Amino acid sequence: MGRYILRRLISVIPTLIGVTLVIFLFQRLIPGDPAVAMLGEHATAENVARIREQLGLDKPAFLDRDALAEGDLPGFFDSQYVSYFGRLLHFDLGNSIHRRIPIAETLKERFPATVELALLAMGLSLIIGIPIGILSAARRNSILDGTTMVGSLVGVSVPIFWLGIMEIMLFAVILKWLPSGGRLSSGIEIEPITNLFLLDSLLTGNWVGFTDALKHIIMPAVSLATIPTAIITRMTRSSMLDVLQEDYIRTASAKGLSEKVVLFRHALKNAFLPVITIIGIQAGSLLAGAVLTETIFSWPGIGKWVYDSILGRDYPIVQGVTLLIAIIFMLVNLLVDLSYAVLDPRISYE
Amino acid sequence: MTEKSPVMDDLTDFAVREHRSLWLDAWRCLIANRTAMVGLVVVAIFVLSSVGAHFFWNYDAEMDLDYGSKLLAPVLRVSEESPEIHIFGTDKLGRDIFRRVVHGGWNSLRVGLVAVSISLFVGSILGLFAGFFESADLNRFEKTLLMVGIGLGLGALPAWIARQPIQSLLFGLLGIVSVSTPSFLANKSRLRRLAFGLLGMLIGALAGIFVGPMVALVCGVIGLGIGLLLAKPVNGKVFSNIVMRVMDVILSFPSYLLAIAIVAFLGPGLEKGMIAIGVVGIPIYARLARSAVLSVTQKEYVLAAQSVGEGHGRILFRHILPNILSPIIVQATMGLANAILSAAALGFLGLGAIPPEPEWGAMLGDSYKYLSSGAWWAVLFPGLAIMFSVLGFNLLGDGLRDALDPKMRV
Repeated sequence: MGRYILRRLISVIPTLIGVTLVIFLFQRLIPGDPAVAMLGEHATAENVARIREQLGLDKPAFLDRDALAEGDLPGFFDSQYVSYFGRLLHFDLGNSIHRRIPIAETLKERFPATVELALLAMGLSLIIGIPIGILSAARRNSILDGTTMVGSLVGVSVPIFWLGIMEIMLFAVILKWLPSGGRLSSGIEIEPITNLFLLDSLLTGNWVGFTDALKHIIMPAVSLATIPTAIITRMTRSSMLDVLQEDYIRTASAKGLSEKVVLFRHALKNAFLPVITIIGIQAGSLLAGAVLTETIFSWPGIGKWVYDSILGRDYPIVQGVTLLIAIIFMLVNLLVDLSYAVLDPRISYE
Repeated sequence: MTEKSPVMDDLTDFAVREHRSLWLDAWRCLIANRTAMVGLVVVAIFVLSSVGAHFFWNYDAEMDLDYGSKLLAPVLRVSEESPEIHIFGTDKLGRDIFRRVVHGGWNSLRVGLVAVSISLFVGSILGLFAGFFESADLNRFEKTLLMVGIGLGLGALPAWIARQPIQSLLFGLLGIVSVSTPSFLANKSRLRRLAFGLLGMLIGALAGIFVGPMVALVCGVIGLGIGLLLAKPVNGKVFSNIVMRVMDVILSFPSYLLAIAIVAFLGPGLEKGMIAIGVVGIPIYARLARSAVLSVTQKEYVLAAQSVGEGHGRILFRHILPNILSPIIVQATMGLANAILSAAALGFLGLGAIPPEPEWGAMLGDSYKYLSSGAWWAVLFPGLAIMFSVLGFNLLGDGLRDALDPKMRV
């Protein structure tokens, strides 16, 4: 298995290079001069020159053939992409155009907020989706099953940003039960340890902080969890239905084992592989969905940051965050692939 | 479910039943399926109303302004305060929301349709060829084409460096040489590779020497590499690998984040949204088509067609394509739902339709800032429109899957 893991890790490298290439090429999509596009029409010549230098726009995009023609071999590789890639290897995502501070620094502040939201949403969708999926497979064609199927179809059809708006309207504007946005009320402080506020406040025994953080996170987490919950429910159900038709399930039932044992000990284990794949894919949709959810709930994570940067045309930030999300998404799916080998001994990768 | 399903009837009178095509059969299953019918009706309502509105109900978004009646709650009856009926209310500029929702449908559905068409067409063709050439042996013509393509493509790099397009052509020629001389030193593969490598190096270096010594060196090294690659005539697996690798790169991004990023850089606009959502969707269809092709190429009818000497194009389009259409159609229906959602998300973020053009997502994005003033109608109805149209396509797709996939009919 060690060899499989190694091979799988190596196979990620070309894709990773491809991803950086795509993100680098984003800049080429900007109509006109990127430096002017970022700063606006009325930018000073000095600022434009600064941005041009920061983005390396005076260099050729990939390879400098003029330098080579003059016999300068190192100069041949002195290009925008090569220096972009080189900086990435040093975890340098460039600087924000407007605030002029390194993107990686702001990322450190903002990323935990998104992670907290995404983890809670994923947790919610697993806690809700898997049991309901199992139950509706076990009671196929019952009222519960019908409701689940309709509910999950509605779940994948709801635009999550609209759901978020509706939640705000109901719980924040009309009922005034929950705050409409932000991560914490002003005046409340939580001692940072992991920067996941829920966890930190629990660790420090800060109950006031915990309830306040919970009140803030619950609406965004629910709307972010909607689509994954619906998809995980459907997948669990259909995967369980497949497994429940197997002979060994009938044998287990015929032996007189209780339904609970058959479902959870015999069926679930084997029905779980496709569900894990879906969980991996949904991790990506959670991170991408964060852009919409965080925007609506003014959640100070990377999604809201991307939105603000799009409006402010701070393109390096959009590039940096997109790259980060793509890499996380790839890693999650790599873990999913690797977990197959652990979970299903029939799959041999040697 | 009724006690006796129609499938059972089919089984009993299988021997005597009349001939029915797959599509007729599927249609019958579809109209027998309640959820699918609901989906079909919902989709029809949306399509008809937005197409009808676009052609027969004049609406000039530029001129639609009435500050006197801004943010009015839904009025169903004419009274003294409200001389006009607004069944969905009005928005911040006093525009009738019902009218804009109906007209917005034209834009929202159009984005979805065009985007899915792009991904469907490009993705299926790529997947079709990738799957077919991966499993079938290439004939001489196709091999030549592939090798020339590889030679030209790779040769473009040294040609660009030395500003000599002729190099690219020479490498293309080298590809032809490689295919047409499979027996040349066939049993001494090392020698053959050496010969091709040297030839490649010569092409690169000789042309490069006119520009500069360094150029000659670099082009020579690149040429050596290309020559070594061209020494071994490839099979279709290479094509499939290249295509699927590119697809992997696109799939490494959460799909609509990539769409958002593309439009963020291109600048807002409906057309750009269509392209972005379309491009992002290509890999799904490519993968689907490829795996479907791989599963049918070993079927008897394809082998039979091959053994009677039918051409590859004919086999591909007459025998394989019709048999892999059903999963693609199902995916396209579901894909429409997703594309409409993505389009709405783009519109909501201000990256879709340019105001004042009506579009559901953009209408939501416009109005949600007025939520604290209690104008729920301005966000409720565009959202419902998105939800129901997406739901309609999802229901239809679900029903189609049951109707078209015989395995699911039990």
